[in-house]
Amino acid sequence: MVIRRMRNGLVLIIRSLFRRKRDVKIGLYGPVNSGKTTLANRICVDWLGEEMGRVSAIPHETREIQMKERVKIKNNGKSLTFNLIDTPGIATKIDFEDFVRAGLKKAVAKERAREATKGVIESIKWLDSMDMVLVVLDSTKDPINQVNITILGNLDARNIPVLIVGNKTDLRGSNLARIRNAFPKYPIIGISAKKGENIQDFYSHLIKEL
Amino acid sequence: MLKIKLVPYEKVKEQKFGRLIRDLHEKTLIIIDAKLNAKEEAQLIAETMKGVSDGFSGIELSSLDFRKKAEWGRMEKIKNALVERMVGKKRGITIIGPAKFVQKIKRNPEELLVYL
Repeated sequence: MVIRRMRNGLVLIIRSLFRRKRDVKIGLYGPVNSGKTTLANRICVDWLGEEMGRVSAIPHETREIQMKERVKIKNNGKSLTFNLIDTPGIATKIDFEDFVRAGLKKAVAKERAREATKGVIESIKWLDSMDMVLVVLDSTKDPINQVNITILGNLDARNIPVLIVGNKTDLRGSNLARIRNAFPKYPIIGISAKKGENIQDFYSHLIKEL
Repeated sequence: MLKIKLVPYEKVKEQKFGRLIRDLHEKTLIIIDAKLNAKEEAQLIAETMKGVSDGFSGIELSSLDFRKKAEWGRMEKIKNALVERMVGKKRGITIIGPAKFVQKIKRNPEELLVYL
């Protein structure tokens, strides 16, 4: 963990030397419906006083990249200013019939599926622009799936610092140990973005990891 | 009817997923004789998304490296990286299937289980 933090720090110093001065970008990545936008809203309400985007139980509510600039968080006397980027959930399949089953009309479902495919492509394209990524996982679900492995593998390949956020700890079936066992080399924090559980600890981790 | 096709990794690399995605649209389960790396997986997902339609909802994908990298020492890592570079091939396996026909591919640490 100490070596990882030192490496992250070194990567950021090198990046800052070779790039023009700009704001740090922190991205929210993860599979569909893991609570990325709920967490983005929690951060934005806490520090900017306004939400970032709409949330829904129907998958792929976020279908475009959304950004809030100059978010400044403070914790234990330290502060961090960054641009927060909420990305559409990454998926390997998008079936409009799933949206129909969720209650949408066929035409609306097809349009949502079309936009969602574009969203996945955009999320993947934006990976290169991130300075740090919060990988948001639903802690009630099995973390060993191809989407999670591909996201983490891509961040590793690009030397982008990662903080795994095990979300939905307020729900029965939440299991952070399962995430820790699946991805032992990454720092992990458990929260409920919806209820605000453990959110101060999350901010402290965020400042520490970056 | 679902077909199964074995494809050498070199062929996939050469064709940049084009042929592979066409096969997936034609109800074919693809088995590649190497593990795709993370960037290749992301590229495959992005290319797949471009072709999603009413009849093709995407893919199920899983890949596995049979080597126990976590147990490697520094010298073994260097040796394997050199061999990989010289041979130009990654060891392992990748399975990709059209999502309409493959329900899921379950990944255990040392095996892949395909649910049709």
